[in-house]
Order: sequence, then C-alpha cells, then structure tokens
Amino acid sequence: MEIQPILLTLRRSKTGAILVAAQVALTLAIICNALFVVKARIATIDRPSGVAEDEVFQIQYAAAGVIEDRKGMQQADLAALRAIPGVEAVAAVNSFPVSSSGWGMGVTLDGKPGSEIPTGVYFSGESFVNAMGLKLIAGRDFQAGDVREVDDRTDARVQADVVILSGRLARKLFGDEQKAIGKTVYQGSGKEAQQMRVIGVVDTLLSSSAPAIDDYAQSTFIWPIRYLGATAHYAVRAEPSQRARVMKDAEKALSALRPDRVLINLHDMGEIKYRRYRHERAGANMLIAVTIGLLLVTASGIVGVASLWVSQRRKQIGVRRALGARRRDIVRYFVTENLLITTAGVAAGIALAIGLNLFLVSKLELAKLPIPYLVGGMVAVWALGLASVIGPAWRAASVPPAIATRTA
Amino acid sequence: MLVMKKLSKVYRTENIETHALRGFDIHVREGEFVAVTGPSGSGKTTFLNIAGLLEDFTSGEYHLDGQDVRGLGDVARSRLRNEKIGFIFQSFNLIPDLNLFHNVDVPLRYRGMSRGERRERIEASLAQVGLASRMKHYPAELSGGQQQRVAIARALAGGPRLLLADEPTGNLDSQMARSVLELLEEINSRGTTILMVTHDPELAARANRNVHIIDGQVSDLVHEPVLRAAAAPATATP
Amino acid sequence: MLAYYLALGLRHLRQSPILTGLIVVTLAVGVAASMSTLTVLRAMSGDPIPEKSDRLFTPNLDNRPDDGSSRDPRPPEMLTYRDAVALKNAKPGLRKSSVMRISPVIAPSRTDVKPFFGDGISVHADFFKMMDVPFVQGGPWSEADDARGNHVVVLRESMAEKLFGDAEPVGKTLHLDTYDATVTGVVSDAWEPVPRFYRLVSGPPPFRGVEDLFIPWSTAIANEMQPQGNVNCFTDPAPDAPPGYEGLKQSECIWVQFWVELASASDAPAYRDFLDGYVAEQRKLGRFPLPTNNKLFDVQGWLDVNKIVSKDTRLQTYLAFGFLLVCLVNCIGLLLAKFTARSGEIGVRRALGAPRRAIFKQYLVESGVVGLVGGAAGLGLTFASLWFLRKQSDEFAVLAKMDWMMLAITLVVAVVASLLAGILPTWRACQVQPALQLKSQ
Repeated sequence: MEIQPILLTLRRSKTGAILVAAQVALTLAIICNALFVVKARIATIDRPSGVAEDEVFQIQYAAAGVIEDRKGMQQADLAALRAIPGVEAVAAVNSFPVSSSGWGMGVTLDGKPGSEIPTGVYFSGESFVNAMGLKLIAGRDFQAGDVREVDDRTDARVQADVVILSGRLARKLFGDEQKAIGKTVYQGSGKEAQQMRVIGVVDTLLSSSAPAIDDYAQSTFIWPIRYLGATAHYAVRAEPSQRARVMKDAEKALSALRPDRVLINLHDMGEIKYRRYRHERAGANMLIAVTIGLLLVTASGIVGVASLWVSQRRKQIGVRRALGARRRDIVRYFVTENLLITTAGVAAGIALAIGLNLFLVSKLELAKLPIPYLVGGMVAVWALGLASVIGPAWRAASVPPAIATRTA
Repeated sequence: MLVMKKLSKVYRTENIETHALRGFDIHVREGEFVAVTGPSGSGKTTFLNIAGLLEDFTSGEYHLDGQDVRGLGDVARSRLRNEKIGFIFQSFNLIPDLNLFHNVDVPLRYRGMSRGERRERIEASLAQVGLASRMKHYPAELSGGQQQRVAIARALAGGPRLLLADEPTGNLDSQMARSVLELLEEINSRGTTILMVTHDPELAARANRNVHIIDGQVSDLVHEPVLRAAAAPATATP
Repeated sequence: MLAYYLALGLRHLRQSPILTGLIVVTLAVGVAASMSTLTVLRAMSGDPIPEKSDRLFTPNLDNRPDDGSSRDPRPPEMLTYRDAVALKNAKPGLRKSSVMRISPVIAPSRTDVKPFFGDGISVHADFFKMMDVPFVQGGPWSEADDARGNHVVVLRESMAEKLFGDAEPVGKTLHLDTYDATVTGVVSDAWEPVPRFYRLVSGPPPFRGVEDLFIPWSTAIANEMQPQGNVNCFTDPAPDAPPGYEGLKQSECIWVQFWVELASASDAPAYRDFLDGYVAEQRKLGRFPLPTNNKLFDVQGWLDVNKIVSKDTRLQTYLAFGFLLVCLVNCIGLLLAKFTARSGEIGVRRALGAPRRAIFKQYLVESGVVGLVGGAAGLGLTFASLWFLRKQSDEFAVLAKMDWMMLAITLVVAVVASLLAGILPTWRACQVQPALQLKSQ
C-alpha cells in the first residue's frame, strides 16, 4: 500500500485533513465519556430493589378527618386485603423502596459518636420480608413476640430491640452476613443510642431515596414495629398474573371500609421505579441523542471533505486509471487516505477523551473512564470513517480514464 | 504611461527555475493602442499580469502613470488596479449570478462612490457599448459578443487610464470580433491607452503599435519594418 | 459596503444548495442542542427574585448535640419550632415569616367537586409583602388574624376557580380540614418564582408544583397540621417529653423554614450578631451545646449551598456545547468547499480592484448570513426540543421555557459560531491568485 504518496498528497490538502481529524478527535472524546455516563445511569436504573418487583404493589390512604381508632382501622384494612383472592402477603409499612419518601437514621457498631452510617429504615407489624418478597440469607424473620407497637399520639420514641439488616449493611459492619447474626448494633450514638440485636439479614433492600451512590442506597434495616399513624400505608404481594386485578379489588375493598380517607397512592413496584428514575432516564436519552447526532455530523463532514477531494483530483484519478489502475485501486487509495486521517484523529482523540474525563471527574464526580470504552469508541469511529468514505471513493472509481486526455 | 525597465520574472518551483521575462524594457505612451504578439509560452500573459498588478516581478522597475509600483502593499495595488486599469479577458469573466447592472457595478463598489454616481456611470457605460436596454438581464441570456461588450463596459465604468485586454476576441466569431475591435478603437480615440495581447495578426494590424515578445524579451515592431509589412496586407477587409 | 455584502450573501445562499443546506442543518442542530440545555441551566440558576434577593435571608442555627455525631460543618437547614417563634417575636428584621408545607383536606361548598387534599403553605402575613406576591383580588390577612390564628385563607387563582367557578371568591368560605375558612385574597397564577427558594428544602423538587393556598402560621399550629416536609431530629426526645404534636413543638427537631427581610444587605452583619446573641442566651438554658455555628444565607447563597443546579444539568450543558463545537468544525470544512467553488468570482473581483480585506469582509459576511439562516432554523429546532423536554417531566415543564433573552442569545450564538467557522475558509478565499483563476476556463 502506497502510504507515502498518499501522505504527500495530504500535505497539500492539509486543511481538509486537519478538519476531519479534529472532528474525529472531538467526537471520540465526547462519545466515550457520554456512553460511559449512560451506562452508569442505566446501571442505577436497573438496580434490583430487593423487592419482588412483579408481585408487589403499594396502596396508601391519607386521613380526611380525625381517626381515633387507628389500630382498629389497620386491623380491618389488613383483614380486608388478606381476604382478596390472589393475595400472598400483606403488611402495613412506613415507606417503600425507591419511592423518594421514607425514614432515615444513623447506625453505629459501638454506639460511639463520629461513626454513624446513614441508613434507610423500614418497619412493619407484619412480616415486611414476606410482603415485599425479600430474600432472607441469614438468621430468621421477626416473630409475633418481637413486635412493638408505637402510636405517634402517645409514644415519643420509635424503637425496637431486634433488627434485620440489609446484606450491604451487614457486610459493612461485620464483614460477613452470617457473622452478623446475634451481634449488637446501635441506632444513633452517644447517650441516646439504642441497642439492638441482629436476628436476620436480607440479600438486598434499597432505601426509599435510592440515590446514585450505591453504598448509600443499599444501607437499610427493618424493625418489627407496628406504627399507628394517621395514614394507612400497605404493601401487598400477589401472584404476577393476578396483580392488576388484585390492585383494583384492593382499592374497592379499602375505599368501601370507610369514607373519611382519600386514596393517595396505588402503584405497582414497576411504576414506583419508573417514576423515581425519570430524571436519570431523561439524562441518558439526551446523551444518546447527542452521541447519535455527533456521529451523523462527523460522517457528513467526512463525506463532504472526501467529495471535495474527489472533485479536485478528477484529472489525477483519470491519469491513474489511464495508466492501469483498476477501480478497486482507486477505492483503496481513498479508503487508505481516510484511514490515515481517522487514525491521526483517533490518536488525538484518545488524549482528548482522557483529558475530558479528568475534567468531568474533578468537576462532576464522574468515575474514571475504563479502557473498554476507549477501545469501543475507537472502533466505532474507525467504522464510521470507513462507512462515510465508501460513497465518495466509489464515485472516484467511476471517473473515466478519458479525462486524462482532456485539457484542464 | 507605462514604463518597465530591465524587468524580469522568475518562477521557482522545487528544482526548476523558469524565466518568464528577462531584461524586459518597454515604454507605452498615453493614448497608444499597442498590440502584444508572440508565440505561446513567450511570456505575453505574464507581461499583462504584471502590467495589471496581478502579479509581482522578481527584479527591475515598473512605473505606472508615473508611480513606482515596487513595494506597494495589497491595498495600494488594489486601489491602483481599481482606479487606473480596466481588464478585458478572453473568457469574459462576468459573474454569472449577477445581472449586467450589478456586474458593471462591481469595480465601482470598491471605490466608495455614492449610489447616484454609480448608477450614472453604469448607465453611461452600458449605453456606450449599446446594451443599456438589457441592464436587468443576466450574462447567460447574452451572446458571446454581447458578454464581451458588457465586460468592456465594466472595464470602462471606472474611467481607467489603461485598458488591458487579453485575447479579447479569442472566443468570438469574426463578425462579433470586428464589432468589439471597433469599440476598442473608439475607446482609444477618446484617449484611453490600450494594451492588447493577441495572436491574431489581423487584430495586431489594427493597433498603431506592435510589440513582439519572444522568450521573455521584447522586440518592438516599430523598429522592425519587415514584420510590419508582413502584417499589413491582412488589413484589406471586405 | 456592509449592505452590499449582506445583499451578496443573501443572493449566494442559493448557490451550491446542498452544501448550504448541510451547513444550515449542522448549525441548526448544534445550536438547538446547546441552547436547549442552556435554557434549562439558566432557568435553574436564575435569580427568582432579583429585586430583593440580597435583602431576603434565611437563618440556620446549630442545635445539634455535642456527642461527636455531628460531623457535617453545615448547621441544620431548618429551625425548631421554638426558635422560629422566638425569631419572629424578636425586634430585629423588617419583616419575618415562618414557612411550613401543609396538606389540609378541602371540602368545597360546591357539591360537584369532591373533597381533596390541597397543597399549600402556612406563613405569616409578612410573607406576601416579603416575596412581592401579586394579588388579583383582595389581599393578605391582617396581623390581627395572624396573632389570633383566625380562620382565613388566601387562594391561588386556579384553585379559586376550581372552588368557586366564576363567582367572586373574596369573602366566601370553604371547609378546610375541620373548620371553615374565609377567603381574604386571590394570588395571581403568574407568580411562579423559579426555583421555589422559600420552601427549598424538604418537599417536592423546587421547580415543580405551586401552592394552591396559604393559611396563617398560627392557625396551622393551633389545628395541629402535620408538617408535610422533612422532620429531622438530631436528639431523641427527653424522657418526660409530651407525645404527639405538643412534643413536636417542644422538641429539638427541625421542621420550620424561616425567612427575614432586612432593610438593606448591609444590615446582615447586625442580624448575624443578633442571632449569635440569641444562641448565647439559649445556651444558658442548656440548649445549643456546640460552639456557635450560625449561618445567614441570602437567596443566592441559599440556592448555592443547596446545590440547586445539579451536576447532571451541568454535564449535559457541557456536552451540548461540545456538540456545538464539533458542528462548528464540520461547518468550517463545508464553508471551505463552498468558497472554493467561487474561486473564479474571487479572481475577477480581485482583478477589478478589490483588496484582500474587501474579499475577507465579503465572505465573512456571507458566513454570517448562512449563520443567521442556520440560527433561525436552530431557533425553530430549539423551540421543538424545549416542547419535547417539557413533556418529559413536571420539572422541565417549568424550566424549559424560552424567553426573549434566550431567543436573542440563540441567534447571536448561531451568527458568532458561523463567523468563527468562516474565518479559515474566508482567509483561504483571500489567498486566491487572480492570475491563475482568470486563465482557467
């Protein structure tokens, strides 16, 4: 392959070559980082919540008046829900994972201040594990004897003696889920720290805020507390094929029980996750749109410059053909030329991609760009260059040799 | 009007030197109609380009209308070109997407004239070449001869002292060629100096002075009566 | 001369239509992407109340316990009930108001509208003057209403219409939670400060949703309305603390947002001193164990410290401008191709006496004209993409709106981009050798 003559010709059309190489470099830098961010977003969105996502739904009512017999109301609700065919488990809960509203507290290993781990807190008088379809991987679930009752009209503190930890939290505190069983942890620190004993560990349980930083999102615990508040908030697990029907039945049943409350939430777990990640999805979509746009713009740029060169070099092409070059030799010439320029652009682009990544790392707390993304970007850009230059190269190959004999 | 002393122009590429003009001496007086002849490659186009300040020269002197052009910057040369010189080319070189009025307008725009004055001059110029009625037409709608006449109108609009014509009739048939030549003679009779490059001996004979260029050097046919006589019989016209 | 070049530029748009079309499209897409993200960024970081944002302040007091658990140097972002009451009753400060989100049940007298949960805030009468809230009818309640916790309410236009239809709302009553409230005024629907700085922390995202109604602070407290935002308790309640609402009021839990208007920004140091003095006094009663760590934020400071512009938005804006850069580089090549085709004309003009700088000006203006067309197309695309963004989420519905300033900026950006892109091709155009051009057929 005659690289040197190609380089010499390029030296005379420096401007076009530099422009294409610059576009290739910029595009590579941007799409590597953009796609990396998209992947991170998608990873966050796809994170399993720990809940049996195709079985569970949320139903919540807010009081439209003063409700005196909170316990009676809760028991009636739970009984009505359990009576619906298709229902596997029901629990009165304080919040749902990934739902944006919930309780947060701090947990320490020794009760000493300064080492609190921010944690999402769930509680129920029934089996939270069962109703949410969580996976218990160590120890046991709560029993009736563990349950404490708290009425916010009369009890100032919410506390219990036993606790179930999420797997991440257990590993953080004790290194191993099995080792956590029977150990003591503290809610809060200092003189007000509450001591609790770990009796179980679940595999995964995301907090209600579910932020992008996975470590925060995965530190949660469950208390066996029957909380008597003004809202009626329940988690219901049903068979996947029955869930939609069960949801309708649940609303009918609970609305019929009493008129002094208003339905404020009726969503299955899928909907809850969807709404929580609206922002992340919009961001990812925007980045994908920019990536596609960039690829198209760069492709059009390559086509433009290549076409310009083909038209400027018609005579030269004709002479080559007249001297015996075949069509595919002409195509190969232009493809090689394009490859040289693209490679120069890729070399500059790698440096730019890393530089851009460092900038984003410092300003926006992005993670460092992994090598596969760089390689993927390089391949994409090379392929793009090839695909773009084929058209003009083929047109160049169609230049008739007779042009050589005509005057300029 | 136009004085060149020991002018030379050397083109240098990587390995080769080409002497387009060497030790070129010429003195054109005001009001002369000079035909420049010579074989192809002799340097007549180079001479015209240098005369028209389109190209720079390697050594020697060039005075245009008393002014030494050596060392003039781009702005000064452009102004000189705009005010003192008019060009007529073989391939007309009209701007295709401007109509005749706007084509003739182009050199006047670079003078900074007022709208009214430009309009007057354009109309007068086009009237002089007999195309005032077709002001709004586009070059593509005109015949070759008419296009060349518009080019002449454009060259004249600014009132130049020197008209440079490079094979003005090369792309025209004999009838159109004649009418263009008559126009040039008329312009010359009014006082404009004309320098015309041609390889047509008939045309050359119509001029009142002939200059012959061979291998980058000039030989003035005023002093070469033999060649002059050879040209003369061709002027017998039907 | 400029008019001449503009006319030429417009005329030559039709030349090499494919190239011109490509330039226009490339510019339009780049401009649309960058301007859409810039619109959102600008809306997010804009000053919601520019005429007095340096005179409105929110205080943060550090009432956290001294047991080493408070590692964050920032004091809590809201006040306790007792501190809010104390600051309101104290002398310093031109106007003061507490702010708490509430969600009372509204039962309208109209039988065709069922009871529903309203979304509102409880504030002092001062709030309306402080935030320059415009009324379309009536006005805020009086100081006396404030003091006595009277049953009054101010509605937003759309809520008033929902409850009372075309009838005059002022003076009418509606059933709120457990009592009847009289309407004293109606707030204009146009009042939508972006972001909702006065209730920034705790509650819905600050770009979404508006309050339907406003009731007096004391009325909400007297009726034990639950705060609809975060309630953060750094200390557990004392063993003898009363339960329920009373306990909440006496606790060290923070759940009240508080705003004070000062006569001028230079009064801030004096108010800070007052806060420090207040905390010192309270310390004698056993509260505020940590060293004094009070903060007083004006509106901009409050927005900054709460990182109102998310990192995501910044990332997207940087990327969009990177995209514009690539489009610009693309345009350079396309303009180069377009101008190369005009070498003949350039040669003629030079021969006719145009100096290089005249050619430079002509072709730069031509780049600008293409840029203007690209900008107009880009403007249309920006409108479309903003419309699309508004459909994505409620937040964007507020933020993704074009105003006159952004419109002007869009066109300016497009023209400047095309001028920048045009510099190299134009410079090349000036280098055209007239002699070479004129000879070639």
